[in-house]
Amino acid sequence: MQVAGSVAADRLHLSSFAHAYLGLGAALVAVLFYLALAAQVTQSSYDITRLQDQQRQLIAEQDQLRYQEVTLHAPAQVQHSAAQSGMQRTAPVAYVPAQPVAIDLGAPAGASGTDATPLWARYLAALFNKVGGTRDVMAAGK
Amino acid sequence: MGARLRILALLVVAALLAGTVWARLAYWQVMRHVQLSASAQAQYHELVQLPALRGVIFDRNMTQLVVNTTVYSAFVSPDQVAPGVRDTVASGLSSVLGVDKAGVMKTLESGAKFAYVLRRFSKAKADQLRALKLPGVGLEDESQRSYLPGIAAGSSLAANLLGFVTYDGQGQRGLEQYYQAQLAGTPGYISSYRDLANREIVLGSHTHQDPVNGSDLVLSLDANVQYQAEQALSYGVRNANAESGSVLIMDPTTGGIVAWADYPSYDANNFNHTDPSLFQDNVSSYLYEPGSVMKVVTLSGAINQGAITPSTVINDPGYLNVGGYRIADWDHRNHGNIDYTYVLDHSLNVGAMKAMQAEGHAACYSYLKGFGLTQPSGVDVAGETSVPLPAQDQMSDAQYATTAFGQGIGVNMVQMLAAVNVIANGGRYAPPHVVERVGSTINPLLLKPQRQVITAATAQQMTAMMEDVVQHGSGWTSRVKGFELDQAGKTGTAQIPVNGQYTLDVWASYVGFLPAIHPKFTMIVVVRKPHYAGSQYDWTLNDGYLTAAPIWKNIAQAMVVDWRITPD
Repeated sequence: MQVAGSVAADRLHLSSFAHAYLGLGAALVAVLFYLALAAQVTQSSYDITRLQDQQRQLIAEQDQLRYQEVTLHAPAQVQHSAAQSGMQRTAPVAYVPAQPVAIDLGAPAGASGTDATPLWARYLAALFNKVGGTRDVMAAGK
Repeated sequence: MGARLRILALLVVAALLAGTVWARLAYWQVMRHVQLSASAQAQYHELVQLPALRGVIFDRNMTQLVVNTTVYSAFVSPDQVAPGVRDTVASGLSSVLGVDKAGVMKTLESGAKFAYVLRRFSKAKADQLRALKLPGVGLEDESQRSYLPGIAAGSSLAANLLGFVTYDGQGQRGLEQYYQAQLAGTPGYISSYRDLANREIVLGSHTHQDPVNGSDLVLSLDANVQYQAEQALSYGVRNANAESGSVLIMDPTTGGIVAWADYPSYDANNFNHTDPSLFQDNVSSYLYEPGSVMKVVTLSGAINQGAITPSTVINDPGYLNVGGYRIADWDHRNHGNIDYTYVLDHSLNVGAMKAMQAEGHAACYSYLKGFGLTQPSGVDVAGETSVPLPAQDQMSDAQYATTAFGQGIGVNMVQMLAAVNVIANGGRYAPPHVVERVGSTINPLLLKPQRQVITAATAQQMTAMMEDVVQHGSGWTSRVKGFELDQAGKTGTAQIPVNGQYTLDVWASYVGFLPAIHPKFTMIVVVRKPHYAGSQYDWTLNDGYLTAAPIWKNIAQAMVVDWRITPD
C-alpha cells in the first residue's frame, strides 16, 4: 500500500530529498504560525494588562471625584466655605409671642342685628327684583 | 537445577526491583496524591478574587455619609534593587511618602523578596511615585471607607453611630458592624489556567463568578441636623466643663433617628490612631439614671390608670418615709398642698412617689414595661447595653419609690427617648431605628405595628403638663423663640453613684418635643459630670435646666429654621 503523499510525490517524480524539504517547509510554516500566534497572544495580554491598569486608575480618579463632590456638600465644608467667603449666620427670627385669647364658644350668640334699611328702599328693591329677577351676588365656590 | 535456581533468583530480584518501583509509585500516586495535586494546581491554576464593593450609606436626603475611595500601598522587592541604585530608591520613597530614608535603606539591604514601605496613602502621592519609575518599587491599590468631616479637625460626622471598617473589610462598631453582612456583599472570583511562562491558557477551562456588591443603607438621619447637634453639643459640653455629652433626636411618628451625636468623638478616617476609649458610643452603650425625666413616665402611668389627674391635690411636706428610708425633694422644702402639674413643673420627688403609690406597684411595673424600660430598645446599632429590672415582686418599696423619680434604674438614652416619645406619638410606642432601607428593602422595624401604651387622652394631658414645665417650671431655659407656648419638655438631674454611694457628680438631662400638639421631633440631651461655673458652691447649678436644656434649645432653634417648622 502507498500513502497518498507518496503517490503524489511519485506522480511529481520527487526525490526523497524533496520529501524531506517539503516536510521541513511544513514544519517551518507550523513553527512560524505558532510563533506569530504566541506573539499575538502576548501582545494581547500586554494590552489587556495595560487597559486593566488604566481602568483601575480611572476608577480611582472617579472615586476621588466622588469623594470631593460629597465632601463639598458636607455641612462642615459648607460652613467652612461660607465663613471663608465672609458670610455670617443671621440671628434667629424673633417672633411676637402669641397671647392666648379667651373665647367662650358656649356663650349664647345674642339677638340678631336689626335691619336699618329704610322702608321705601326695601319696597324699591322688591319692585326691581320683581321686574329684573334676583341675582346671586357671590360667585359659586368649588 | 542450577539453571532453575539462577532463573528463580533472577525472577526474585526482578520482582523485588519491580516491587520497589511499584511501591514507590504507589507512594507518590496514592499516598501523596492530595498534596501533589494541590501543588500542581497551585502551579498552573490561578484563582483571582474579585472584591465586592461595600455598600455606601445615605442620610434621609440621600446625602452620602460614607464614600468608598481608592488608596495605595507602596511595596519594594529589595532583591531586585541593585546596590548602586539603593540610595536613589530610598531618597525617592522618602521624599514622596515622607518615610524615614535610613529605614528604607535598611529594608533594601536586607535582600528580602517583599516589604511594604507605606500603606494606604492618597492617589496624588501614588501618581508622584509612579512618575519616578523607581526599580523594584510597586504600587497596590485598595479600597477604603471615607467619612465626612465633623465639627473639629479630629472628628468625622456621626462617627459613633456609623462606626468604621478595618483594613480587612470588617465593620466595627455602630452601623458598619450591625449591617456588616448586608454592606459587605459577596466577593466573586476568576479561575483560569496558566502555562509555564505564566500566560493565561485562553482555551483552558475558565470560570468566572461576578461579585455581588453590598447593599446601600438609607438612614432616617439628617446630615444637617446631625451637624447642628454635634456643634451645639460640643459647645454645651465645653461650656459646662462636663466629661461628655450626647444628643439623640427622633421622628415621633416613625421612631426614625434624626441625629445621634456624642462628644467627645473621633475621626473614623483615622481609627487606627485613635484612643479606643473614644470608640464607645454613649447613646446606646452607656447606662445612666435618668432622674426626673422619669416622672413623665410615672405620672403618665398614674393618670392612665385613673389614679391621679393633673389637678389632683396632694400634700408635700418635702419628704416621704418609704421602706425605712426618708426620701426628700431636691430642695428639702415643705411645698404644702400642690397639684400634679406643680409637681412636674418643680420636679418634686414626693409627688412622683405619691403618684406611684396611688397607682400601685403592679401597675407601675407594667407601665415601665409598656414604655420599654425593662428590655433593650432593639435599635439597629451594634453594642446596645441595657440592664433588666428585677422581677416585679423582687423590687422593694424603696426601689419602687426611687424608680418613680428616676434613681436606682439604669437605662440607655435610646430607651429613655423612645419612652418619652410615647407622649409625643399619641400614646403609641414607636420602635427606634436608624436604617429606613437596606438596598430596596424597607427595614422591618418600620413595618412593625406600634403598641398603644397609654390612651391618646392621657398623652394629651401629659403634653399639657410638659408644656407647663417650659412655661412655668424648670424647662424655661429651653424656650425656642416663637414656640414658647408650643413646646413640651422636662429636665432631669441624677446623682452618680460610686461604690454604692451617691456623689455630687450628676447626669444632667433634658427631653422634649416641638411643636407640642403636632410634634416634628423628640429630642433628649444628656450631659455627664458637668462642673458649671460656681457649682463648687451650689451643686444645683449643674442641673439639667442650666446644662442640658440650653443645648436642646440651640439644636431645636436650628431645626425650626432648617425644617421650616411653624407653631401649631
